[in-house]
Amino acid sequence: MSQSTGIDIKQSLVDTVIAGLMALIVFGPIVGVLLDGYDFNLQTGNVAGLVGVVMMGRFAVSLFFQSQAGRNFLYRQASKNDGVTVTAPDYKSNLRWIIPVVMVLGLIVPFIASKYVLTVVILGLIYVLLGLGLNIVVGLAGLLDLGFVGFYAIGAYGLALGYENLGIGFWTMLPLAAIMAAVAGAILGFPVLRMHGDYLAIVTLGFGEIIRLVLTNWTSFTHGPNGVSAPLPTLFGLEFNRRASEGNIPFHEFFGLKYDSGFKYIFVYLILFLVVWAVLYVKHRLTKMPVGRAWEALREDEIACRSLGLNHVLVKLSAFMLGASTGGIAGVFFASYQGFVNPSSFTFFESALILAIVVLGGMGSTLGVVLAAFFLTVMPEILREFADYRVLMFGVLMVVMMIWKPRGLVRVTRTGFATRKGTVK
Amino acid sequence: MSKAVVKKTLVSLAVAGAITAAQADIVVGVAGPHTGAYAAFGEQLWRGAAKAAEDINAQGGINGEMIKLVKADDACEPKQAVSIANRLVDSDEAVAVVGHFCSSSSIPASVIYDEAGVLMVTPASTNPALTDRGLPGVFRVCGRDDQQGDVAASYIVGELGAKRVAVIHDKDTYGKGLADAMKSTLNSYGVKEVLYEGLTRGEKDFNALVTKIRSVDADVVYFGGLHSEAGPLVRQMREQGLTAKFISGDGIVSEEFVSVAGSPEYVDGVLMTFGADPTSYPAGKAVVKSFRDTGVEPEGYVMYSYTAMQVVAKALAANDLDPVAASDWLHSGVKVDTAMGTKSFDDKGDLLVSDYVMYEWDAKGKYNMLNK
Amino acid sequence: MDIVLQQLVNGLTLGSVYGLIAIGYTMVYGIIGMINFAHGDVYMVSSYITAIAIALLTFFGLESFPVIILGTLIFTIAVTSVYGWVIERVAYRPLRNSSRLSILISAIGMSLILQNYVQIAQGARQQGVPSLLSGAVRFDIGDGFVQITYMKLFILFAAFLGMGVLTYIIQKTKLGRMCRATQQDRKMASILGIDTDKIISLVFVIGAAMAALAGVLITLDYGAFDFYVGFIIGIKAFTAAVLGGIGSLPGAMLGGIILGLSEALFAGLISSDYKDVFSFSLLVVILIFRPSGLLGKPEVEKV
Repeated sequence: MSQSTGIDIKQSLVDTVIAGLMALIVFGPIVGVLLDGYDFNLQTGNVAGLVGVVMMGRFAVSLFFQSQAGRNFLYRQASKNDGVTVTAPDYKSNLRWIIPVVMVLGLIVPFIASKYVLTVVILGLIYVLLGLGLNIVVGLAGLLDLGFVGFYAIGAYGLALGYENLGIGFWTMLPLAAIMAAVAGAILGFPVLRMHGDYLAIVTLGFGEIIRLVLTNWTSFTHGPNGVSAPLPTLFGLEFNRRASEGNIPFHEFFGLKYDSGFKYIFVYLILFLVVWAVLYVKHRLTKMPVGRAWEALREDEIACRSLGLNHVLVKLSAFMLGASTGGIAGVFFASYQGFVNPSSFTFFESALILAIVVLGGMGSTLGVVLAAFFLTVMPEILREFADYRVLMFGVLMVVMMIWKPRGLVRVTRTGFATRKGTVK
Repeated sequence: MSKAVVKKTLVSLAVAGAITAAQADIVVGVAGPHTGAYAAFGEQLWRGAAKAAEDINAQGGINGEMIKLVKADDACEPKQAVSIANRLVDSDEAVAVVGHFCSSSSIPASVIYDEAGVLMVTPASTNPALTDRGLPGVFRVCGRDDQQGDVAASYIVGELGAKRVAVIHDKDTYGKGLADAMKSTLNSYGVKEVLYEGLTRGEKDFNALVTKIRSVDADVVYFGGLHSEAGPLVRQMREQGLTAKFISGDGIVSEEFVSVAGSPEYVDGVLMTFGADPTSYPAGKAVVKSFRDTGVEPEGYVMYSYTAMQVVAKALAANDLDPVAASDWLHSGVKVDTAMGTKSFDDKGDLLVSDYVMYEWDAKGKYNMLNK
Repeated sequence: MDIVLQQLVNGLTLGSVYGLIAIGYTMVYGIIGMINFAHGDVYMVSSYITAIAIALLTFFGLESFPVIILGTLIFTIAVTSVYGWVIERVAYRPLRNSSRLSILISAIGMSLILQNYVQIAQGARQQGVPSLLSGAVRFDIGDGFVQITYMKLFILFAAFLGMGVLTYIIQKTKLGRMCRATQQDRKMASILGIDTDKIISLVFVIGAAMAALAGVLITLDYGAFDFYVGFIIGIKAFTAAVLGGIGSLPGAMLGGIILGLSEALFAGLISSDYKDVFSFSLLVVILIFRPSGLLGKPEVEKV
């Protein structure tokens, strides 16, 4: 790859000057001229500082790319190796040790973590569910869905409104939300699945927005922006509130404990933890089943699949519905955990975030989704230390992560097949 | 980036660092939209609360203990409000919270504060549902939308004698709540609105809506929402030659309303309901002056936030720093002296006396209280 | 009658502006197949630059309308174009060989960066610009009237002029031919000696310039903006681009105008609560019957 390893300082300096000029134009007006009503104040010092930082950064990057390490990095970037890694047939993943450890740790966490940490972890797990759902649609079946938040909203509002109007509790709603979201997925999916990639993306985006707008505007049913409160799960009829509703006994009185608002989070966490494992297991099995293989095959080459007799509409629809139902389940947990839902939780940005989880995790990789979901939910909380710069840092991290690992955190691996002894070759 | 921000961050870091050294501080959260589209209001809350905490600490704190403020950002999103409320309660061990700003954040967060027995005093959330649910630890030092709506409606019917009223809202908890409250009082006076519609927050083009208002021939337009939408709306009304009276609530109380509308001529004659000028109370003269001395105009919710902090401090001081006892104490109808006069609360946590009055914007882009 | 006419005018101005922003989406999509989510925020940045330009020009005493509008246009378009170039260079070019979804996520990150960078630099307050051109033409029709501000007329004129110039560049000049060649087959174009990296940069610059034009026009008309305005208008413009057939330049303009008109008419005659529901439903219905948008070329599936 490398012809000459010498470092061309002159080139670096030229790059630096160009970068400085660009930085001056970019930062000059916005940072340097602070609008104040129709008037302005000059803040040239900040611009000079920023331009200086950009120039130094550019110089360092320029030198780096001329070094051997930099060249290797560029080479990796340019190579188009995005296939799956095939492991040897007898390869045993380290995961078989890690999974039990994580399970045990996960069961201990709620009893030692503070409530704040626990709520962040719950949110992380909800996003794991969402990520897993969308991963089927985008990662495995290759259908770009920008309106996934719609199914999430169906689950969340299903619980809140179902409780308010029909008295349906958490446990009934859990399977019901999955079914409702799947039906919604089918209704949406059927007409639009014949569209191609990006048209599908915008139609699903439209669908997500329509759901949110209807939730906002249909005030007589959904209470519009005021939102609806949602119930907590119960443990065999025991409630976790300080004061139970009529005819029920609160959990802490039943067991003679002092009331602690942490109980409900521990309980939600434990259910969620188990559901996530169940979903993980199902997803894992599905990818090994014919339908999972069909999704991936269809993603790779639709025409070939159709000519081999795969019913592409059914295959896509099954991916859409399964993904949607997972989103619905996540919605139920979200509503229950938050105790309140309103339409502002279901904006397009949320869809984008879920998509970011799937892409950042490495399309189609289950492990990647789990890691990325935690990364993207825990990161904003950690970044709270940066106060006003929090979301800015989050955006920077997103871009940097993509440049650093364009194919996601975890590459999809697949166990290789070996011909069994005694079979005809 | 901006010098002010950097300076602010440094100062708050320094303050935080200096205070952590002293043990057993009283932690009070200041929750609001410190980032996001409504960050301007979050800044107002922070300024007011920070100033109040500074003044109280300078006088020896609460029963000798210093107040330590924690800035809690909810970006006006319910999800973040829940998460940050748990953090305040749990990690920061706050005993009281000044905030949140948006009603849609205050409502879910209040449940968490209630369960943890934390005193919550919001300077800005006016949605009736916040206190109507009867949570004991929730108070507000601002009015309620229904009180505000009442004042507006009786002004529209009584003073303006309007018959054709168009009601517009921004489809959000605050704006719609306000518009609905106004509408129901209006209807109780026997005036039926000629138009009731929502606009989308964040958009700036309301020409279609304005034309529609024209088509129903309204002589009063009531808007429930914030200045970010009210400005373009009123401008586009005037540009299309619509001269109907424009009335709104306390969501447009900001000097930005004028710059957003494009020119003071557009806001001339716009009416709004707002608590009697928060800077006009004799008790708050010194505070207002010291704000202005540092170059900060105590506009919008700054004084409310200051007052909320004072209520928190006084209630804690009178009850041995126990927030639960403090909320019972506040419910008992005691009179609390604040920079905005004497306040007392009813059993829901609302102010006993609502002080909404009408204001009018003039051609210079300032608002003045209308004499009744 | 007058009301319907007024709504048509409202829709047409709004739609022409959507069209201008949609051009940025459609050209970028056409050439590298990515949805540039940061495009709406480029428009937002241009609103701030407009206000800054006006403030600076007024400061130097240049207050006559032609001078200030021309100065603002040139300054804003120049600076915003650099933004377009820099964004492509920093956030998208390193991902040129990655999957399109990776670039999409990078674009979403970029959008967050732009919003928060502007918020930090300029503060979170609502900003405004003074109205530069007041006055309106008024047509009396029967009992009613249609009132069109001079600013609106100027918007229509400038928007269509901008679109016309761009169409000329793309259709008639050598540069435009290079753009079209790169769009059709990037590999072949580079074999024929076109520096495709430069062309892609150029497309981002053109998109940003068109967004800047829209930014100046809208900012002058509505007078109000904040760091969040890019989001809604970005989604609308993207919808317009898809409606017209993504990748097609006339499609973007047509889609913008259809979207603007349908929004204005629906909001004005039926309900402004559900106008966005209507626009998205319209999009879904059109895509069901014409899966490649109104003027898009049907995708040929190659084996």
